[in-house]
Amino acid sequence: MAVCVAVIGKDNSPLYIGGIGTDSSTDNELSRQWLVHTALDALEERLVSSNTNAGNAPANAARTDLRDLYLGLLYSTDTHKIYGYVTNTRIKLVLVTSSTSPSGSNIRDAEVRTALRRLHALYADAICNPFHLPGDQITSSKFDKQVKNLMLNNV
Amino acid sequence: MATQPSDSTEFPSEIIQKSLALIGLSGLDTVNNAIHKAIWDAFSNNRRPDRASVKFKLLNNTFEYPVVKPKRNSYEWYIPKGILKKNWIHKRISLIPAVIVIFYDMEWNDPQCNEKIIECASRVQSIRAAVEGHATRVAVVIVQSGLSPPPSEYMLGAERAQTLCSACDIQSKSLFVLPHSDHLMGYIIRLENDFYHIAQNYYHHETKNIKQHRDHLNKTTHQYLFVRHQFKLGFLNEMKQDFSTAHKHYMHAYNNLLETRQVDTNIHEIRTVAGYVNYKLCKLLFALNLPRDAIAQLKNHIERYKNRIGPTELLFEHYAWIARQYSAFGELFDEAIRAGLPAIQSQHPGFYYQYAAQFTVKRRQAMRSVCCEALQYPPPPDPMEGIVEYYGQRPWRPGRLSADPHDPQKEHAAVLALQYNERTFNHSSIIISFLGCAISQFKTFHSPRMRKQLVVEMANEYYYCADYGKALTLLTHMLWDYRREKWWFLASHVLNRALQCAYLSAKIQDYIQLSVEALSKDIQVPNNDKSRIFHNIMAVLSCAIPAQEPDIPATSLGKALELWQNVIEKDPFLISIDMVNISSFLEIKAKFQQSKYRIDEAIQVEVYVRLTYKVFLQIKEAILTISSNTETIEIPITKDGSSKFSLEDGTVYKFLCQFKSIPKDSGSELHIKNVSFILDADKKRKIVMNYKIEENKLANSFIHPELLHFINSPKTDYEFDCILPLTSTVIVSRECRLSMTIVNNVPALQGEWFPTTFTITNDEDCPVSRVIITLTLISSPDNPSPESVTELSLKEGEPQTQPLKIQVAQVDKLCSYSDTFYLKTNKTASTTVQIKVSYLIQLNETQTLECIKDFTTKVTIIKPFEVTANFLDLNFKQITKCFVEDPFIVIPQIKILSQWPLQVYDTNLEVVDCFQTFDSETESCIKKLDVSERDVASDAICVQAKYKPKEALPRIGLYNIKWKRKDSVEALCVMSSTPIPALTIDDCPISVEVSYPEVVELQTSVPFTCILRGKTNIPIRLGLTVEGTDSYMFSGYKKFSITIPPNESIELSYNIHPLVAGNTRPPRLKATILGDSFRQEVVTEIFEKNFPQYIFVMPKYNK
Repeated sequence: MAVCVAVIGKDNSPLYIGGIGTDSSTDNELSRQWLVHTALDALEERLVSSNTNAGNAPANAARTDLRDLYLGLLYSTDTHKIYGYVTNTRIKLVLVTSSTSPSGSNIRDAEVRTALRRLHALYADAICNPFHLPGDQITSSKFDKQVKNLMLNNV
Repeated sequence: MATQPSDSTEFPSEIIQKSLALIGLSGLDTVNNAIHKAIWDAFSNNRRPDRASVKFKLLNNTFEYPVVKPKRNSYEWYIPKGILKKNWIHKRISLIPAVIVIFYDMEWNDPQCNEKIIECASRVQSIRAAVEGHATRVAVVIVQSGLSPPPSEYMLGAERAQTLCSACDIQSKSLFVLPHSDHLMGYIIRLENDFYHIAQNYYHHETKNIKQHRDHLNKTTHQYLFVRHQFKLGFLNEMKQDFSTAHKHYMHAYNNLLETRQVDTNIHEIRTVAGYVNYKLCKLLFALNLPRDAIAQLKNHIERYKNRIGPTELLFEHYAWIARQYSAFGELFDEAIRAGLPAIQSQHPGFYYQYAAQFTVKRRQAMRSVCCEALQYPPPPDPMEGIVEYYGQRPWRPGRLSADPHDPQKEHAAVLALQYNERTFNHSSIIISFLGCAISQFKTFHSPRMRKQLVVEMANEYYYCADYGKALTLLTHMLWDYRREKWWFLASHVLNRALQCAYLSAKIQDYIQLSVEALSKDIQVPNNDKSRIFHNIMAVLSCAIPAQEPDIPATSLGKALELWQNVIEKDPFLISIDMVNISSFLEIKAKFQQSKYRIDEAIQVEVYVRLTYKVFLQIKEAILTISSNTETIEIPITKDGSSKFSLEDGTVYKFLCQFKSIPKDSGSELHIKNVSFILDADKKRKIVMNYKIEENKLANSFIHPELLHFINSPKTDYEFDCILPLTSTVIVSRECRLSMTIVNNVPALQGEWFPTTFTITNDEDCPVSRVIITLTLISSPDNPSPESVTELSLKEGEPQTQPLKIQVAQVDKLCSYSDTFYLKTNKTASTTVQIKVSYLIQLNETQTLECIKDFTTKVTIIKPFEVTANFLDLNFKQITKCFVEDPFIVIPQIKILSQWPLQVYDTNLEVVDCFQTFDSETESCIKKLDVSERDVASDAICVQAKYKPKEALPRIGLYNIKWKRKDSVEALCVMSSTPIPALTIDDCPISVEVSYPEVVELQTSVPFTCILRGKTNIPIRLGLTVEGTDSYMFSGYKKFSITIPPNESIELSYNIHPLVAGNTRPPRLKATILGDSFRQEVVTEIFEKNFPQYIFVMPKYNK
């Protein structure tokens, strides 16, 4: 399903970018990074708009906490669809599907939501590692394996 | 409108232009006739959007209208040669007017009116003849001065107008009168709208004509005509400004075109026409405010034609065409936004410009793959020469419909020509301009990162077209943002490209800066070849040309080497790099060892250096820059006393810098401003790596070092990471070594001048000079503003302005200085006095230092005594009120609270106006009385009220006590005043004076008189009774009434005879006022008061 999954820190620095590509040449990695990086524009726009809505009425503060972490489809290009998810600590999760492959183009929103929730859980597990420095890139091979699995399993 | 780059796919202007109804104006001589000029200007100038959608064309007499083609009765044998004729639109929008308006000057009352009518009719006739065959409408405008009334109210005018209409053979509603004298613009706008209606009528008629053709057509041979006719209908409706009908017809045209059989020979034509129709469709959809439909239309359009690529050797044409579709749509979208259409981040024109750029890139790729052989333009005859009658047809085979090329050789030459043209085409410039449009759109719609990506793409494009300087500028700006967000992979990509650009354009400053950053551990370089980069830095440092970057275009290499040759031994010799803003291979942390230094201490700064790139780095010089309020100093960083040292990776180096602060900096802050490392290869060139330290930046990048314990990293890294930079320190003044002792007798008493003696002893190792002692009162919570209630002085009894300053010239070593100050306060609270001592000292160093020390002393103030007062009448009975002229005694009682024995020097009572002292000569009874704690001294003063005041008095008067401490003989007396509370004063119409003996003997008659005195101006009548008792017999009137005359007295005499011994109650007089009863109470009271309660009766002893 997914061709690329990214975890982005609260300061918008990449913590993890994993992709399943047929080739791992620099060009592919580069286009993947561009894709995820530009998705931040849409993500930030969503966050700003949801914040201003809540900011108008402080009484709704509780509602913002209960805000759905899944932001849905951020934008789509000719070749890819990009979905976003933001945790309460402003860690941003991005999932990219290919709209050219049949499995990617027909994906349902609920599936993406589930996948991103699972990714959130995996991320939480990964940073529970006391040897992980918060804010650093996630280098855990176990996390990498699990994420790759997640991307493939959901096909 | 954004200027779009041009190429062969550009839309012709007649497609892009807004289609407006064409109206011809004839008979206006704008050159010679000012009125005509004004009319023409009013029609043609200042066409705002709210005016009718018409276009005016000035027709002169020689204007030639297109010849009408002979009407075809049957299409049976007609085979169309193409889809859309190129000249048709042009004819419609600028040659065939819908209406021709003939302007003619004539007044209704003109004497030669009939001749004029005939002339006008002949003009109309000639125009009619010129447009023979066209259905063009004719209208006549009579230009008048406006002086004569309108024809409807003017018989002659109406008549003549009628004549004119019939002469010209026009309907009366096609005749207009234009008065030009005033309100010209208003008339013009009304005329314009009328013309517009006539024009709409005309176009409607024209569409009917075209619709009639349809019945004659058949699908097999006339497919092109289906498209053409629908397009014409659409266009005419557009001119009529009926957009929805126009859209309907264009849509038919579009769909008919899709059904057309497509072969390699007509693909270009179909594509071109489809593009135009699609453009028209989208434009109308935006005009109808259906932007979603417009977007959907474009998507479907691209989807349908995406795979109709045509002949592969002309693949680039296909991509060029797609790119043009996108960019044209982007322009339409942009225009619609400017006209008020809202757009959002995920749907705005930028995307379409981006697609246009992307497809242009594809076009270039296609060109590279198919145009390799087109090395030169084919020999003449030029296949590109030739006139094409239809849109999208090829000049070398105009109007040919057959699918197979009739002349393979010519076809080949033509393809070669197209390929050659494509080869020489500058794709980069068109891509750059598309990207430029896209970038500005993405910036508008809050997509900074998308914009950045496009800027990088643009820079790449500049790189491909060898404009390295521009590429470098763009890339270095973008690098900043990727670095800030720590997208190192992208940053590396940008940096490597920038490094290539810097090399190719031989910009030394950028080249070095980028190379230094490339050595950072965050940056990946191609082939992981960082040592090459390091050697290049060293090469530039020693004024040698660096080795070339990998993967650079060979064509630019020679130029680059030439550039390097020119600049390598020239400026800039000093390359300074701002290291804080880039990621680098040399990291610096600097900290003050303490956050506070005394001015006489040496300040120490630790500088930690870590090299993350595996190299042996020679540092020529390193400098630490420190700034204070007054100056900035540079301190060399040295290793083992040498300013030249080398660094190796794997160790954290620590350098210690020491310096002394100057006296001026006392109390201010010092900041580490900069650390510079200088590389120098003993040639002219230097590289200065500056680490500017800004405090606000440090806080951001702070990681808790505690967390680093867990990280599996080299130990040296841990050491370095744990260091918390401390970039500012405070300079405090030198510690003062003076001591102070204070002698005083606390607590102080309220109101006294309380002496305090302080002694300053110099404990320094040398004499101190210019000692200044400043005494100030300090506020405290229980005494917030002490200066208002407390006085300070150096002389007893003379208040001085605070703060007090004492200047002492010099105090020698181990000597002391002492002085006394006096303090007087009226508030019973503690008072704090600050004694600030400042002095100059000259220690071993040459500099003179100023030292300051604050001492404080706290003085508690208590009340010396408390005064209470009692009131007694002359019988020594407690009273609560007194009567006018009735004397009583005030007994002030002084309760001593002071723990120090006091001497009461004198006392007196200062009474208020309505009282007076009863005794003529008053001397205090407690004069010169020594008292000590808990003693109570009582005084007594006899006082009499003079009159009854109008208002109740707050007090009788002030009781003044002059006192001092008993043991301080010389001290001044203190005068303390205490208010004595008031006593109610009442007045009585009479006064009573009773004389009776204090003591009587049993069985002995004694006289007893009572004098009643009138106090008012009127006589008072009293009823008197004697209230007898068992203890006495008495003689005199028992019950009677008397009149007391004003201000005179009456004496009543009785004899009383005591019957029993002991304390007895004598007979008493009681009075009632006769008449005026409200004074009764006072009278009763005064009688009560003056008659004795008891008389002591002595028993009689028989001797």
